[in-house]
Amino acid sequence: KNSIQTTLMPSYKLSYFNGRGVGEVSRLIFAAAGQKYEDVRYEVDQWPAYKAEMPLGQMPVLEVDGIKLPQSAAIARFLAKQFHLAGKDNFEQAKVDAVVDTIYDTYKAWAPSRFGEDPVKKEALSKKFFGEELPKQLQNLETLGKLYGNGGHFFVGNQLTWADLFFHTITETLLGINADCLNNFPWLKQNRAEVEKQPKIAEYLKNRSKTEL
Amino acid sequence: MPSYKLTYFNGRGRAEISRLIFAAAGQKYEDIRIEREQWPALKPKTPLGQMPVLEVDGVELPQSAAIARFLAKQFHLAGKDNLEQAEVDAVIDTISDINTAWPASSSDEALKKKFLTEDLAKHLQNLETLGKLYGKGGHFFVGNQLTWADLRFYTFGQTCIEAAPDCLNNFSWLEQNRAEVEKQPKIAEYLKNRPKTSF
Repeated sequence: KNSIQTTLMPSYKLSYFNGRGVGEVSRLIFAAAGQKYEDVRYEVDQWPAYKAEMPLGQMPVLEVDGIKLPQSAAIARFLAKQFHLAGKDNFEQAKVDAVVDTIYDTYKAWAPSRFGEDPVKKEALSKKFFGEELPKQLQNLETLGKLYGNGGHFFVGNQLTWADLFFHTITETLLGINADCLNNFPWLKQNRAEVEKQPKIAEYLKNRSKTEL
Repeated sequence: MPSYKLTYFNGRGRAEISRLIFAAAGQKYEDIRIEREQWPALKPKTPLGQMPVLEVDGVELPQSAAIARFLAKQFHLAGKDNLEQAEVDAVIDTISDINTAWPASSSDEALKKKFLTEDLAKHLQNLETLGKLYGKGGHFFVGNQLTWADLRFYTFGQTCIEAAPDCLNNFSWLEQNRAEVEKQPKIAEYLKNRPKTSF
């Protein structure tokens, strides 16, 4: 690689756990873009040794030409903008952000039912989430898809954006717990199918290791 | 010139960041404030049954962070390139994490007190860390100029100080950051004239 290439092409290093979680959307963006990057994965017991290297003691962290960026949404949005998967103008990008924020709201509503300490409490939280909260959030997401999707299958503007990729990976986890949770939402099911049909994504998903989270 | 209409409760809450952006930009907009009693009738007419909502030339946008980032980008307060915008977003998300962790609506007073006396400082330390990492030695969070990260911390800081008046005593960089925001002429003018509300 000559020095001009090095200057023009940023180097990317993503550090996260060996799982999907909130880091996978960035891996999907890299895959959709066909962009090479260092995909650093730490097992849970390895992680404490590396914690001090991360600006906020958390992962994911994206290192771009030596600059470290924390916060999964900031990372993913940055990458989506780099690779034209963020929405074609400021207002479309805002619609994408609104969908992403609604997906994050869904994830945050689910998290206590999986990551708490008390198994009895977690069971109750899970029942409430899948029975009440998730259908509300999914309805909200379908509303946005129909409002912004220009009649197509993608959330915004009739083309793939990171909102579709993020929805795919978060619902992968939820479907793993409750395989029927999208049954009442055909638009959302179709959206996931469209993501899986993208050739570079299909290739990536075929080769990706299955993880619970 | 697009027309902007922002709808929220009569308070700072999740909309004040957008009002501060409009003020910093000197941009006119319709500042709709809904009283609590009016909200149930309005709720089903909003995209997600939530506020704030921004209407831009008739198209509605929910989600307070998406709204604020859109406005910040419209008015060049988002960071000067993609990487700076990402640094700004990282600060924004770190403030959002504090809100998520803060049990503000809990009835458990001991839990709230624990957060304010033990946990809040760790979060504020994270924010100072980012300011020193991205601030290029200046007083603003990113790139030595005002961005919506500073405006967001300004309004968040007010909420912190109202709950715990000495919360920034050990964070002189954060205190100085808020002082720099207050010094901006259009912001100073806005702060002087804005309605005083309980939240």
